[in-house]
Amino acid sequence: MKEKKKRFKHEHGSSFSVDYYAYASHMRSWNAGFKVLFSIISLLICIACNNLFVSLAVIFFMGFLTVAVGGLDLHHYITMLLVPIVFLIFGTIAIAIGFSMRPVGQYHVHFLNLFYIYWSKASLLKAGGLVFKALGAVSALYMMTLTTPLSEIIAVLRKAHIPKLIIELMNMIYRYIFIMIDTHSRMKNSAESRLGYCDFKTSCYSFGQVASNLLVVSLKRGNNYYNALEARCYDGDLRFLEEEKPLKAGQIVMAVIFIVVLLLIWFFTR
Amino acid sequence: MQEKEPILKVEDLHFTYNGEKTALNGVDLNIYEGEKIAVLGSNGAGKSTFFLNINGVLKSHHGDIYYRGEKITKKNLNDLRKNVGIVFQDADNQIIASTVMAEVSFGPMNLKLPKKEVISRVDKALEYMNISEFKDRPPHYLSGGEKKRVSIADIIAMESEVIIFDEPTAALDPLNAAMLEEVLQKMGDEGRTMLISTHDVDFAYRWAERVIVFCHGKIIADDTPLAVFKQEDILKQANLKHPMMFDVYDILKEKGIVPDGDVYPKNIAEFQAMVKGL
Repeated sequence: MKEKKKRFKHEHGSSFSVDYYAYASHMRSWNAGFKVLFSIISLLICIACNNLFVSLAVIFFMGFLTVAVGGLDLHHYITMLLVPIVFLIFGTIAIAIGFSMRPVGQYHVHFLNLFYIYWSKASLLKAGGLVFKALGAVSALYMMTLTTPLSEIIAVLRKAHIPKLIIELMNMIYRYIFIMIDTHSRMKNSAESRLGYCDFKTSCYSFGQVASNLLVVSLKRGNNYYNALEARCYDGDLRFLEEEKPLKAGQIVMAVIFIVVLLLIWFFTR
Repeated sequence: MQEKEPILKVEDLHFTYNGEKTALNGVDLNIYEGEKIAVLGSNGAGKSTFFLNINGVLKSHHGDIYYRGEKITKKNLNDLRKNVGIVFQDADNQIIASTVMAEVSFGPMNLKLPKKEVISRVDKALEYMNISEFKDRPPHYLSGGEKKRVSIADIIAMESEVIIFDEPTAALDPLNAAMLEEVLQKMGDEGRTMLISTHDVDFAYRWAERVIVFCHGKIIADDTPLAVFKQEDILKQANLKHPMMFDVYDILKEKGIVPDGDVYPKNIAEFQAMVKGL
């Protein structure tokens, strides 16, 4: 129980930290639109080429950008990548190996005298390629999310003509999710200080109470927010000033060179 | 002073929540340019409701509001909102954007100003509140005092004529409260019209030029701080205490240590000057 709790808390912290890493990144001054576009193009190339070397190049370069240029701690970066890596490995096991009642395939082992687990060099390569391809795609997206605060990503989406409703919802959810987490943790602490989580039954009860209270508080706060919006001439549209970050020639050159290199790798290892 | 036309004129204002709870019960008030008004009264006396009414967020059931002689109707409601700004009690209830700059720009953007003007106003407001360095920071990485300053910058950027502060010192540590008072002093010196609701009688006494006391949805006193704090029955009705300096002066006067001249010291500096002469 204790162990589990600790792990949960750690995860809770890490979801927060994505936002913080983006805010603290040295690459924050880069043009957000450029970063989004660059990461998406790299992602598409990585998937379209379907080539182990291209995938590796994307993984390394994106890691280099996020860690060396962005200034994110390598340890943090690897910890964050471990989450998708674990998923990927478990997900691709099914591709690498097969089950059979008879001894088939290039390699196989007999398992509990019941069935055979078999695999081949080709299937292992395929699974490995898939892991690296997916990891390349993930690291390209990580480069984007770990160096660009969400408010800037939203601004890019707005420019990309995503419907206004979605943009405004994203903006508000992003702002209020932190307030809600904050309110929740305060309620939880106050319940905990009164032995609200002393055993399983009480925990369930307290959880329900906190959840329902959170709803009531949210509704009440929603009303307050609306008042505050109205007080500043809100007329149905959320309009904010967006900072314009200049696009630097060096960055474009870097991106073009990287893409050309990717294509060359693909061409020569085809 | 009384001959001047008031910026804001409130006549017989009534307001009830959900048709049951009477929050305002006939409020009359004139606010003149450059006044520094402290609004006192216990919780639930109607201060916040009154503020939301004179900002145009809540619509009164009875009574009129005039802004510079013009009666406020649905049509020119935005004039009222534009010219009367509220700094809400809880900054977290006011801040909606995901960076400080975006947040402060929200008001000016709603005023449909050109982008250049918005940028210059935001920069000016941030500089005024001394928070330029937090420009790109998301609000959840700010401390309570910093959030408060952002919420004030919000209103400064709108260049409202009347600025209302709803219990600005609540939930601030002493250092931030002192900083806030400095800002309020500065704004007062610039001749801005301000209304501040507070439970801190000492602050009201030393800062304000005029004190309004709310009680059960009505204004029961409206005078200079000295005159208000001399009316024992009013203080009792609104559950207010004397300011500290006020009591100290009274005790000294009783003992015959200071001359009975009715020149109540407003702050420590004035008190020192008075005692020095003895």
